Parts: sequence; structure tokens; C-alpha cells
Amino acid sequence: MSEVAISVRGLRKSYGENEAVAGIDFSVSPGEVFGFLGPNGAGKTTTIEILEGYRKRSAGEVSVLGVDPGEPTRPWRERVGLVLQECELDPLWTIREAVSLFARFYSRPRDVEETIELVGLGEKRDARIGTLSGGQKRRADVALGIVGDPDLIFLDEPTTGFDPGARREAWNMIEGLKALGKTVFLTTHYMDEAQHLADRVAILRSGRIVAQGDIAQIAGTIGRSTVISFELDGKLTVEEVRSTLEGDVAVAGGQVEAQSADPQRDLHRLLSLAEERDAELHGLEVRRPNLEDVFLELTQERP
Amino acid sequence: MSDRAIVLAQARMAILVALRTPRTVIFTIAFPVILLVLFNSIFNAGGNETTTLPSDVKLSAEAYFTAGIIAYAAALSTFTTLAVSLTTQRENGQLKRYRGTPMPPWTFIAGQIIRAEAQALAMAAVLLAIGGVAYGIPVPASTFPAFVLYLLLGTATLCSLGIALSSFTPTPDAASTVAPFSVVILSFISGVWIPVDQLPQWLEAVGRLFPLYHLALGLQTTLAPAASGSGLEAGNLAALVIWALVGIRLASRRFRWEPQASGA
Repeated sequence: MSEVAISVRGLRKSYGENEAVAGIDFSVSPGEVFGFLGPNGAGKTTTIEILEGYRKRSAGEVSVLGVDPGEPTRPWRERVGLVLQECELDPLWTIREAVSLFARFYSRPRDVEETIELVGLGEKRDARIGTLSGGQKRRADVALGIVGDPDLIFLDEPTTGFDPGARREAWNMIEGLKALGKTVFLTTHYMDEAQHLADRVAILRSGRIVAQGDIAQIAGTIGRSTVISFELDGKLTVEEVRSTLEGDVAVAGGQVEAQSADPQRDLHRLLSLAEERDAELHGLEVRRPNLEDVFLELTQERP
Repeated sequence: MSDRAIVLAQARMAILVALRTPRTVIFTIAFPVILLVLFNSIFNAGGNETTTLPSDVKLSAEAYFTAGIIAYAAALSTFTTLAVSLTTQRENGQLKRYRGTPMPPWTFIAGQIIRAEAQALAMAAVLLAIGGVAYGIPVPASTFPAFVLYLLLGTATLCSLGIALSSFTPTPDAASTVAPFSVVILSFISGVWIPVDQLPQWLEAVGRLFPLYHLALGLQTTLAPAASGSGLEAGNLAALVIWALVGIRLASRRFRWEPQASGA
């Protein structure tokens, strides 16, 4: 596999006057789960469809597995698996029939039965697709996307409309793909999903990338870090806490919120201090920066 | 996997879907059989009705209606089902999904055409067999090759037109209204329900513009015991070929793989 799975430089796409994608750069490494996030209308679908070979770009350089997706070739299609949004399957096919059909399109497909098992539809293999639940249909979509044993998989909102149990199962499946060494390009509206699955994310807003990197980095760029919080009891003063920790410490109604760039070190110091003073840290909590907060801050329309 | 294996797999899936769809089974398979029995029972009570073709060849009313209904069944099996199923598969995203795989696009189209042809030829065999057994319609050995040729050329033409129509119909509802409706209307002026010698001249002239007229007339000529020679007529063949070229041209220029109604 090449050094980078996906490389995008200065990508633009205009529809008449309207610039849907206004010059974006990012790259995805082999074996990585890359989360591509943004509100509706930010240019996500346009970008992913350019990477998938469905749309022509207006400007910029794009390479997917070393090939320009503007000129998709059959050998390239063999290595790229797509799980699209809003693509139905014939309700009259059974899962096994559909997966077998798609397996024929590839020169080295995965085993059909094994693929059906991998997406957790083993018991439904002979059921017609029209009789499946929404979550099961989506898993059938994933089976068709991976039956060709691709190196790179695009998952466009793979869990929309899932109940929490189905979402957990889908997450396990995506982690399974990563364990097989696949590169995954994931779009989702669920920030907990991106936080759970993605090694790195890019956040898109109005056709531009407003942040990218791993989640702690992104949180750092907008001044968010891990927060250690607890209640003060009489044995400790705010001044003592401030002199022990390096980050900002805020107090409101006896509740301390300390920003921490190095939570392990700061917690150790805090606990040592508490032990020295025989103080109790009631309600002690360590909160990592939350992707949802970051996302909302970066993508909300500002006046 | 070879491309031929993909074509056969696509054809097999299309046949499975057709057989699992009650509407297809009723309207394109059972319906023509019922019509054949009805027409031959209603319009030939005496048993001696004959019909005269524009070429002055005479044949029994049963042979005339059997050939006409074979043409009608062929149009349903090819033109109508292709227009509806291709529009449906495009609008629900199935075609877009295929385009994201290494499947060569032609293999899909070939598979759909094989399904349509298999259905049309099977229908012709069944209707011809019913005609022979129940109504004693002979198939003259001298004109049988021409019968097969008309059927193959006519269904190929109707396939190309069905694929072309799917590129004009934005939704499955539109396709399943326009396609069967146009076949029924054309059947009235193409010698399927009513012998063309009973039509006003101007209506027959309109019918003559369309391929169903020439397919029906070709099949009727080859089922006439009195027909001389091979039964082939240049006019019918030329009309079918011209319409096939129109269909191929429109289909190849306009065919789309992505949904049109909702596509951004």
C-alpha cells in the first residue's frame, strides 16, 4: 500500500456561483480510521463523492490509493469499498443472493458466508432484504461494501437511525475492519461515534476545514483541555490548589474546575495534597475534552 | 470472475426478482394468456372468421389474434418491464451502487436485456403452444424462421426503447404509468385488439409509424398459411431497425446511473 491512503490538496468544487468546497487539504494514513465531520451543507457529501469517483472536482489535487478518483479505473474500484447513503437494495433479494452477486464483481472477493457473519447477519442470510430492520439493512450495505476485500472503505453515515444496541454492534464491526488493517473514511453526525472510532478527524464548515487532527489536539486549538473537578471541603483552600496545579483553576459555589494539560501529573499532585491535609475530594471527576462541545463551538453560525 | 459470469448472475437476479413480483407475474405473464383465450373465444364464435392483412394475405381470426397478442406480450416483457425496473433501480440508488464497484456497466445492461428476452421468448412459446393446441393454429415451416427473426428483432427494438424511456421517466410511478399505457394505446392501432383493416385509414397510418404495428404485422404474416415465400417484408424489417437505432441512440446519450428525482 502507498504511503498515504488519501491525499487532498487545495480541493475545490463549485456549482455555478456557489462554492460547495472552498479549498481543503487533508491526508489519511493507511490503517487509520479518519472521521470527516461537519453540519449538513458543509460540503461533506460533495467531498466524499469526489473521493469515491462519482463527481469531478473543480480544482485541486486528489489521490486515493495513489489514483486520481476523477478517472476511476476497474483495478482501483477493486480496492475501494463504498457504503453510500440512501442506497436501497432490491427488497426481493435475499442477503446471500445480494452478497454473492457483488462478490462476482471482484477478482479476489472475501468468502460470502464469512462476510455475512462478519456483519452479524448470519441468522438472516436467507431472509429477503425487504423483511429486515433498518439496522440490518445498513449492515447488508456494509457487507456489500466489504465483500470485495477492499483496502479502503468509505462509510457514509453508517449508523444513522440505529438504536443504541445496533450502534454498539456497528462500532464493534468497524473496529474489526480496523483490526484487519483496513483504512476507514467515516462520516457521521454522532460525535460520540467519531470520538469512539476515529484516530483523527477533520471538521468541515461552509466548505472549509476549521480543525483537524486527533481529538485532544483539536480541543487544544480552541483552548479546551481535560478538566479535573471536585468540591472543596474546609481542609483545603483554593490558593493551595492553585499553587499545586499548573493550569487555570476556577471556583464556583465550592466546586473547583481545574484545566489540565497533563491530567496524570496533576491528579497525582492533587491526591498527594489531599492526603497530606487529610482532605476528601468529593465528586472528583476527570473529563476529557468532548468532541461534541468542540464540534458545536467550531460549526455554530456566529453573528 | 469473468464478465460473462457477471452477466449471467445479473440475468439470474433479474429473473428471480421478476418471478417474485406478483405484479409482473400477473400483468406480463398471466394477462396475455387470459387475453388470448378471451379474444379467440369472443371474436370467433362461428369458427370461420378470417382477417385480411394489408398485403391481401388472408388468415384465420385466431391466428391473427394469437400473433398480435404475442407482439403485445413481447412489448410488456421487454419495453414495459425494462422501463419500470431500470427507473426503479436508478431512483432507489441501486445503479449508483453498481457504479461504485468494479462491475463493467455493460454487464448490468446485458443481464437486464437477457431477462427481458428470456421472458418475451418464453411468452411467445407459451402463447404459440396454446394457439396450436387449443385453436389449431399451424406454424408453417416455410415461414417459421421469419417468425423467429421478427420476434428477435422486434424484442431487441423494444428493449432499446424501454431502456431509452427509463431515461425520460423521473420516478418508478411515472415509468409504470407511461410504459404500459403507451403499449395499450398502440395495441389498438397496431392490429393487436382490432384488425387494422377495420381501422379508419388515418388511425392505421398513425399506427404504422410505431414499431408495435410492424412487429404484429410481421408475426401475423408468418402465421398465415397462405403467405408466400419466407414471410419477410422489407417495410416491417426497416421500421423495426430504424426504431432500434432511435432507442439505442437515446439510451446511450441519456442513460443515467444516479437518482434524478432527489439527486443534488
